[in-house]
Amino acid sequence: MATTTSRIDRRTLLKLMGSAGATATVISTGCNSFNQPVSASGLTGGKFDKSVPLATDGPGGNMAWQPGDAVKYLPPSDIPTRGAAADAISALPKEKVLRMYELMTSSRKWETAMKDLFLGAKDGLYGAFHTYVGEEAIAVGTISALNDDDYIASTHRGHGHLIAKGGDLNKMSAEIFFKATGYNKGYGGSMHITDMSKGIMGMNGIVGASYYMAAGAAIRARVKNTKQVGVAFFGDGASASPYYFSAVRSCANLKLPVIFVAENNFQYMGVPMAITVPTKYISEYTKGLGIPNHLVDGNDVTAVYAATQEAVAWARAGKGPSVIEGMTYRWYDHAGFAGGRVSQDAAMGLPYRSDEEVKQWMSRDPNVRFKSWIIAKGLASEAELSAIETKAQTAVEASIEFARKSADPKPEDGVLNTYANSAAEATQFYNRRNISAARTT
Amino acid sequence: MAKKNYNYAQLEAVAQEMRANADMVFFYEYQTPTATLPTGEVLDLAKEFGEHRTSGRGWPIDEQWIVGVAIGAAAAGSKAVARIPTMAPIYAIEYIQNQAGKIRSMTGGQASMPFVLWQDGAGRSQGMAGQHTDVGMEALYAQLPGIKVVAPSDAYDAKGLLIASIRDPDPVVYLDYSEVKGGEQPDVPDDAYEVPLGKAVVRQQGTQLTIVAWAPATVDVKRALPELAKAGISVEFIDPRTLKPLDVEALVSSVRKTRRLLVVEHGHYTSGFGSHVIAEVAQALPGVKTKKLAFPDVPGPGAAGMMRWLRPDAPKIVDAAVQMMRG
Repeated sequence: MATTTSRIDRRTLLKLMGSAGATATVISTGCNSFNQPVSASGLTGGKFDKSVPLATDGPGGNMAWQPGDAVKYLPPSDIPTRGAAADAISALPKEKVLRMYELMTSSRKWETAMKDLFLGAKDGLYGAFHTYVGEEAIAVGTISALNDDDYIASTHRGHGHLIAKGGDLNKMSAEIFFKATGYNKGYGGSMHITDMSKGIMGMNGIVGASYYMAAGAAIRARVKNTKQVGVAFFGDGASASPYYFSAVRSCANLKLPVIFVAENNFQYMGVPMAITVPTKYISEYTKGLGIPNHLVDGNDVTAVYAATQEAVAWARAGKGPSVIEGMTYRWYDHAGFAGGRVSQDAAMGLPYRSDEEVKQWMSRDPNVRFKSWIIAKGLASEAELSAIETKAQTAVEASIEFARKSADPKPEDGVLNTYANSAAEATQFYNRRNISAARTT
Repeated sequence: MAKKNYNYAQLEAVAQEMRANADMVFFYEYQTPTATLPTGEVLDLAKEFGEHRTSGRGWPIDEQWIVGVAIGAAAAGSKAVARIPTMAPIYAIEYIQNQAGKIRSMTGGQASMPFVLWQDGAGRSQGMAGQHTDVGMEALYAQLPGIKVVAPSDAYDAKGLLIASIRDPDPVVYLDYSEVKGGEQPDVPDDAYEVPLGKAVVRQQGTQLTIVAWAPATVDVKRALPELAKAGISVEFIDPRTLKPLDVEALVSSVRKTRRLLVVEHGHYTSGFGSHVIAEVAQALPGVKTKKLAFPDVPGPGAAGMMRWLRPDAPKIVDAAVQMMRG
């Protein structure tokens, strides 16, 4: 590994980061890669500053990619100079900005607590767990620009989406513990936690399953003439699903109010995006469809929010779908906690990436950046934000206690909740049993 | 009551439910949703419900899209029907298997899935070959948890089962084989009636041999019945209509009387749905005589002579019945 991780030395890295630099703004290039200046008449017709390159080249389509190369694509960190993007969010009421910070903080603290519980092993937690740590700005930036009744279709890495939509931490923790009090009563676990009452069309254990859910919801919204939009989250891996192009092209053709939000974290499972995505960026796939393609710094909540606001306005105006690609980074392994430790952030020593790369991305922590931006803008004091952090931590700890004290689901409930009005027959016994349909909830 | 053809009966079912549910949607590929009565009255769903509730202008040849967004709309709360043509009998299966059938369970009962896959079935027709001759996909769909499966064989059931499927809060695969649409059809009432899911029908009562067949195989059984009567065999003919949930009680009570069960299907032999019918009856009634006639494990060939020979048709049914009556 040493031979590959050392390909970029520190000097080169600093040079690259410098060139990525200080005056960069949120990027919405239409379809151009970051190194090409984009005119104000870019495809998006957007109001973002588009003239500053974010990095020297796109990360995709690079078959010579080596672990560590992702440092070349670090988004710029100088948030206060972000022009229109920052204006969009600083125009919000203070409570809303603080609520966004609270949601990002809750998401981080809840997942970090779960990580410690999984690794600590005292609670005997089991099952899949896909962390969203490091990507919180995309969930909160996107969902904060929606109305409560807009739809989202989530992924296997969707805890952050649920929290951003107002998910109840108690029910979330209880579901991770597979308790009867969990959101899904113990039927779903981490990959399926959802709250349908909040317009969440499920998290989903199948990569590439979100598009049709969001599009179907958007069709229903159009039938009912409600102006609701559907948001489909997906990762760089899911952009390879045949469902992706199928959905984007038909949504474009039918002008359906759908927003496709790519959470490009550079790595699908353990495979680098550089060698699986043939274009420089995922948002280039859909270049020929004549729809807005926003490429943004996914670790900058102000950028994600501004792009989403634009895409939502576009969708509600009946103009059809948009693609938003947020460049971000997953701090932990694809699933589980290989390379992770109790009380340590991020997973280190994973074979498909370099620790240096992880650390560089951690230095662009979306939550820390948002916090310093809020303080720099004078929207809140350090003390106010610390109080929010404490409140979030308390809520997380309370949710874990709630989960611990909750009851397990009854084993025989395993035949319930598949059909609306009847239980499945218990055919595993010599004498089949009928569990009362009356118990179906 | 006007005499309705089969297609009219089916579209009338969808139209009546769409009138009753303002947010219901109906998506299809090239199968234009129009039908005409002998009196000249035209039913045109695209015109009546507009391009937002039907797959109007601009919809693609993309079965995954058609099925996927219908499932998405259903998850969001709309009753949804997706109709897929004959040569794509399992294009829809991935999204149905992973999403439609599981979402209620995976969400702990939060999600409902009022979705119907209206799957056209090709049938063992001559001259089409391979991809345009499939039958028996009902067995694949019936294997999927959370999915119900119906296969009507006359116009009355076609309308009533479609309405019941649309009204059901769970996903239903509705298999629509063109071979059952010809010939003499029962009268189809004008009102929106249900043929309840999970209820078999006894097409002919008898005491010596139970024959079970559904969808296209019923055509062959009906042809065989007069010959069987001439041969002096008292046949009880049962059409389950719904394959899942299967009306096991109706089948068992018949075979308890006759002690003989002959299942005829146009699906392929191995793991065809008829195997499950026999398994249910044999477990309930140890010692009864059972036999299954099925299309062999080969794709349907184009040449008419080969197709006729492969098909479990009336002469083969009569022969099987006669042999089952011996000993």
